[in-house]
Amino acid sequence: MSRPGFVLEVDERTPALLMHQGEGFRLEKLPMGSRVIYPPESLPGLRDVDEEIRKALAAPVGRPPLSELLYAGMRLTIVFDDLSLPLPQMQTPDIRQRVIEHVLEAAAAKGVDDVELIAGNALHRRMTPAELKRTVGDRVYRSFFPHHLKNHDAEDKENLKEIGHTRHGEVVEINRRAAESDLIVYVNITLTPMSGGPKSVSVGLASYRSLKHHHNVQTLRNSKSFNDPPNSAMHHSYNRMAALLAENVNVFQIETTVNNDMFPKQMDFLNKREWEWNLKDQAAFLAVRRANELVPPAKRRQIWHRTAAPYGITGVNAGAPEDVHPITLKNVLRQQLTEVNGPSDIGIWGLPYICPYNVNSIMNPILVMSLSLGYLFNMYQNQPIVRPGGVAIFYHPVPNEFHSVHHPSYIDFFEEVLAETTDPVAIETKFEEQFATDPWYIHLYRNSYAYHGVHPLYMWYWGAHALEHLGDVIFVGGDRKTTERMGFRSASTLQDALEMARERVGSSPTITYQHTPPIAMADVR
Amino acid sequence: MKRRWFAGLRDDWRMVRQARDIQGQTRTPRTAQPHELVHRPSPFGTNWARTPGVQAARQVIQTGLLKPVTWNTVKPDVEGLDHLDNLDGPVVIVANHSSHLDAPLIIGSLPWRLRRRLAVGAAADYFFDKKWAAVITALVFNAFPIERRGSDRRRSLAPQLLADNWNLLLFPEGTRSEDGWMTPPRLGPAHLCVQRRVPMVPVVLRGTFAAMPRDRNWRPGQHRVVVRYGKPIHPEPNEGARALHARMMNALARLWAEDELGWYGSLRAQAKGELSLPTGPLEITAAESESESGAGSTDGRPRPVVPSGSWRRVWEASRPMPPKRKD
Repeated sequence: MSRPGFVLEVDERTPALLMHQGEGFRLEKLPMGSRVIYPPESLPGLRDVDEEIRKALAAPVGRPPLSELLYAGMRLTIVFDDLSLPLPQMQTPDIRQRVIEHVLEAAAAKGVDDVELIAGNALHRRMTPAELKRTVGDRVYRSFFPHHLKNHDAEDKENLKEIGHTRHGEVVEINRRAAESDLIVYVNITLTPMSGGPKSVSVGLASYRSLKHHHNVQTLRNSKSFNDPPNSAMHHSYNRMAALLAENVNVFQIETTVNNDMFPKQMDFLNKREWEWNLKDQAAFLAVRRANELVPPAKRRQIWHRTAAPYGITGVNAGAPEDVHPITLKNVLRQQLTEVNGPSDIGIWGLPYICPYNVNSIMNPILVMSLSLGYLFNMYQNQPIVRPGGVAIFYHPVPNEFHSVHHPSYIDFFEEVLAETTDPVAIETKFEEQFATDPWYIHLYRNSYAYHGVHPLYMWYWGAHALEHLGDVIFVGGDRKTTERMGFRSASTLQDALEMARERVGSSPTITYQHTPPIAMADVR
Repeated sequence: MKRRWFAGLRDDWRMVRQARDIQGQTRTPRTAQPHELVHRPSPFGTNWARTPGVQAARQVIQTGLLKPVTWNTVKPDVEGLDHLDNLDGPVVIVANHSSHLDAPLIIGSLPWRLRRRLAVGAAADYFFDKKWAAVITALVFNAFPIERRGSDRRRSLAPQLLADNWNLLLFPEGTRSEDGWMTPPRLGPAHLCVQRRVPMVPVVLRGTFAAMPRDRNWRPGQHRVVVRYGKPIHPEPNEGARALHARMMNALARLWAEDELGWYGSLRAQAKGELSLPTGPLEITAAESESESGAGSTDGRPRPVVPSGSWRRVWEASRPMPPKRKD
């Protein structure tokens, strides 16, 4: 039985605690009395995943069994989450592969010929053939690539279809093939409460015209947090769009959830609580950390990105999106939620090497901002772990490095836009249209492996709520120039950061460290 | 480069070793310790101690052993027994407490009609935490457990015993005095008397601290002790527990002062409002306290400057009782 999550109070017995710091990690001694939020221990995975998939497809919620929805001569479109999920990548076979194989077995048995598989990548970069193959498996890849296994193209006007407008005037425009199919089967991995459910089709297959209604500063500032759907303006928008889609397309959603086993056995100490490290874990920490220092940076990054997670699957549920998603959310929160008593003056987070947008790529400074002030700051329900006007301290080197193929518009955004302003509203007003409609960025998005031109702006909006909430943001070990460009500060050590935070929070602040990864979601009462 | 790497290894090694012992283990931080339900032993039942057979055995023990031993250990002067003449029970006897001799002295001095149905309240965490001690205490004293602390205290047996016509002997201070002087008594006995409409008998014991103080089980020597009974205090109609409690403290203070002031002198002092609970002789007023330490009370009440348990208070309390006054 897994132990529940809890809040540790640092005392004299507490050893130095693990802190992720980009493509590395360290131990840090936190001040006495600091609180540390630990997620529940990793839940046991399902013993027979294939049997669970079979059961889910045979007895879905709010829909007839999948086999009854399939018939000869139909147009079937299978959409799956792209490589931004899960993080880190899952050890093969990927759960999407397993589910898709079951769906295709059923489709083949019913004589369905017109089958198309689409990666729901929205404005993310296209997945490479190798990445597609890894996700759907060799059998599916060989049968469908390249003509019937594709990435969604949000700039292919011919192949987009406007479904209509919501009562709030939001345009719903999705992939034409999916919109005109008799059945869309969406295969999803819900890693955080933010993803899945109404977001899957309305975002994964959408165009910029449609996405801009919820990916904007106003919506994100009113999403408190975007990991708490009932209190997220962004999810309210998704829900309106999903309701309109439900009237026009037939979606059969298959949602899966994973446990918190994010690191392989050799690095088990990263999954364990520090005071429970045995001698082997301590030796492994020293060996991995010192070896990590020795490896050249490019090789180090490659190794980290190749380190796949041995996730256990904690749930497979299928049916109508609106009926399946609440079950999925319960599973996610069961694994991640820890109750916390009130916010503190200072919040601390260790940033890992990966975020949804740098899989097999480089974590550039904009992505560091999005991971820290967007994803990790928003891992809360009710209220942030830091009080309004408090200070956030993150651990990351924030190097001035960009992947020129994956993130071309990020480079321009960093060099030109951030040099002028860091205010999300000003950026949105002055630069969004320019970046979204730039023909060169669109060309690279469609034909190369680049994120859409507007994507770096979206990443900046992602942190808009945190920027408004916090009094100061400090990066321990961060590159001074890079952090300064983004309007943040850097410190060499935690002590320096706490000293810098004094002007905002006084000399004896309360401190909370959200110990993640593995993913910890705080329910701050 | 190589040197930096080794320095890093040394620093990492030091960090790993933080708060760990030689075997690499660390104690679990307090807030990470697993929650364990506190095992509460089932309450020690004392009903058997009030069965006729055990009562008979107790009379033999108390009369044949307890009283002779106590009266041989000390020289008790028992005063005020005449106040109990018209009492049949049930009553609540309250006394100051500074020695293990207190209960035997009261039991030994009480008239038979009150003693034969007397139950003694005893600290559950002291007398009832071990079975053998609980059996002896219940057998010899007809004791019943009183839980002194904890938010999950069990319901007291006292109201039920009063309802069953048992007299109770209670020590409202809750524990033996550290230095022979009284500590503020608790409200429990007053509540009990008000609820059950039973009289309260104040008793003051003096000299028992000198004869057998806390942490000393046996001190041979014929110390003079005084067991002084006061007039029963009957709860007035509509009188609250606090008012009765105040009357009880007043009575205890007067009984205590009788040794120094004499019976009449103590009555006069009581009438003038000069008496207060004997919490110790070394007190100064708030004004003096402020002038000396800057930390006096602002309500003007006297405040002891000598901390509880100080040798000076013990010294004063253990002064042998003066010979009996010949009025």
